[in-house]
Amino acid sequence: MAPASAGTGERFFPDEMPSPAANAETAGWWEACLSHRLVVQRCTGCATTRHPPGPVCPACSSLSCEWSELPGTGIVYTFSIVRQAFLPALAGTVPYVVAAIEPDGGRGVRFVSNVVDCDPEEVEIGMAVEVVWEDMGPELSVPRFRPRPAPVDGGGGGDDGGDDGGQGGP
Amino acid sequence: MSPRSAPGRRAVIAGVATSDYPYLPDTSEHAVHWQAAQRALDDAGLSWTEVDGLATTGFFPMYATGVAEYLGLHPTYLDETNIGGASFELLVEHAAHAVEAGAAEVVLVTYGSVQLSTMGRRLGTGGGGGGGMVGPAIYDALWGNTLVGSYALAARRHMHQYGTTPEQLAAVAVTMRQHAAHNPQAQYRQPITVEDVVSSRLVADPLHKLDCCVISDGGGACVVTTAERAADLRRQPVYVLGAAHATTHHLNVSADRDLTVSPAATSGPLAWERAGVKPADVDVAQLYDSFTITVVLTVEDLGFCAKGEGGAFVEGDGLGIGGRLPTNTDGGGLSACHPGMRGMFLIVEAVRQLRGEGFPETQVADARIAVAHGTGGMLSTGATLVLGRDLP
Repeated sequence: MAPASAGTGERFFPDEMPSPAANAETAGWWEACLSHRLVVQRCTGCATTRHPPGPVCPACSSLSCEWSELPGTGIVYTFSIVRQAFLPALAGTVPYVVAAIEPDGGRGVRFVSNVVDCDPEEVEIGMAVEVVWEDMGPELSVPRFRPRPAPVDGGGGGDDGGDDGGQGGP
Repeated sequence: MSPRSAPGRRAVIAGVATSDYPYLPDTSEHAVHWQAAQRALDDAGLSWTEVDGLATTGFFPMYATGVAEYLGLHPTYLDETNIGGASFELLVEHAAHAVEAGAAEVVLVTYGSVQLSTMGRRLGTGGGGGGGMVGPAIYDALWGNTLVGSYALAARRHMHQYGTTPEQLAAVAVTMRQHAAHNPQAQYRQPITVEDVVSSRLVADPLHKLDCCVISDGGGACVVTTAERAADLRRQPVYVLGAAHATTHHLNVSADRDLTVSPAATSGPLAWERAGVKPADVDVAQLYDSFTITVVLTVEDLGFCAKGEGGAFVEGDGLGIGGRLPTNTDGGGLSACHPGMRGMFLIVEAVRQLRGEGFPETQVADARIAVAHGTGGMLSTGATLVLGRDLP
């Protein structure tokens, strides 16, 4: 298989995956995804990040927020190898990796996503990853992650130290 | 429950019962409620006309009013607070406050489910018994995560931080099966070994099939009233010594700041303080065991051992009858019965233990203090009930 570059049409999951029903609070995140930009919702009052997107800052109650663009790199905080298909359409996809990713620059926020483009058995906690976009259709692009060859220093926290117990706030 | 209450108004559980379980193919959900409720009232020596409160919950709106209609009740105290698997500990907490405040005299708390017969017999990999996650959990479901997958994420992280092993998780399932062997109603009673668990099919790695609870039909009920009212009833009452509940997030893993700490870390200390009881005082525990990792996190977060030492605590039959903390003496959700929200079973078994009416082989001798702790959602909610044979 040729090395995938972000958003070049490579598919990892079937069309039958659940799709989001975006609302006023979440549409911005999905719109950024459609243009292959990984963003996180950040409070403009106290800079606390949050995900999933919501209407109010859980740290300071501010209603003011912005979409902060992330570099698209991060680490695996934890993961599971799903071996039993919960949708019939996933029968050909298992085993696949579901992971909680801590994106660099995300101030402790985590995205549930997948680690693709590698043997599931090679995934480990602390592994450096980068976003890869899967275009599920003309109106939906989904961020997944794949191993990144050389971790960049000082990104999103270490293997198991700095990310623990943090509340993601300032 | 509150030390400030007059002794006569202290909340007690005056009757308990389980319905038939785990297979009820020709029964409706409401009929399960009725059977459990009738038995609990019989146990207490109360009649339907003496019930003025109803607390129950399920998965459709105005649930309690539907059950009230079916049971022919017109309660003036109603509660259907739903916090998932921890709901019934919370409903008893509320009912205890209500009777102590004089807002109700006799509150019937009931649970009924025919999840197994409705869904068909399959492995529960997600909310709704086998399905994926929808609605508020879409930020997980879109990436193929499921309920068991979420608990697997917690298990993997705990293993990474504390060195917990698959064999230690498996020990929970092995002990539950040992207890289930003595419960004639239990869904699975054949003994299993650690090797059996770790060689069973991986559903969401690192959780195996035998790390996951069963899916069952069944229900239970209890009667909450005051010590004064219970004094002339049939059974020795069990005191609600203290209770508390907590939540960390809703259903998305993304919003759970620390997957290795459950809401029990908040509800536990509050409940101990309110009850005037320490973890070391507990003779027998009934802990929600949706998955083996749930129990490991709960024994840590309730303070039975230090954070990270849950794996060592449960291994070597640590949860057995002669172990560090005799737990789930009916076989638990891992082996005996798990109809979706198992919390009621924890309460019924805790009361039976305190009355000395457990299954003979799993009765803890002279049990005086019990804890029932429910866990709901994706480690999202926790509710702790501390029960006592006597007032401290």
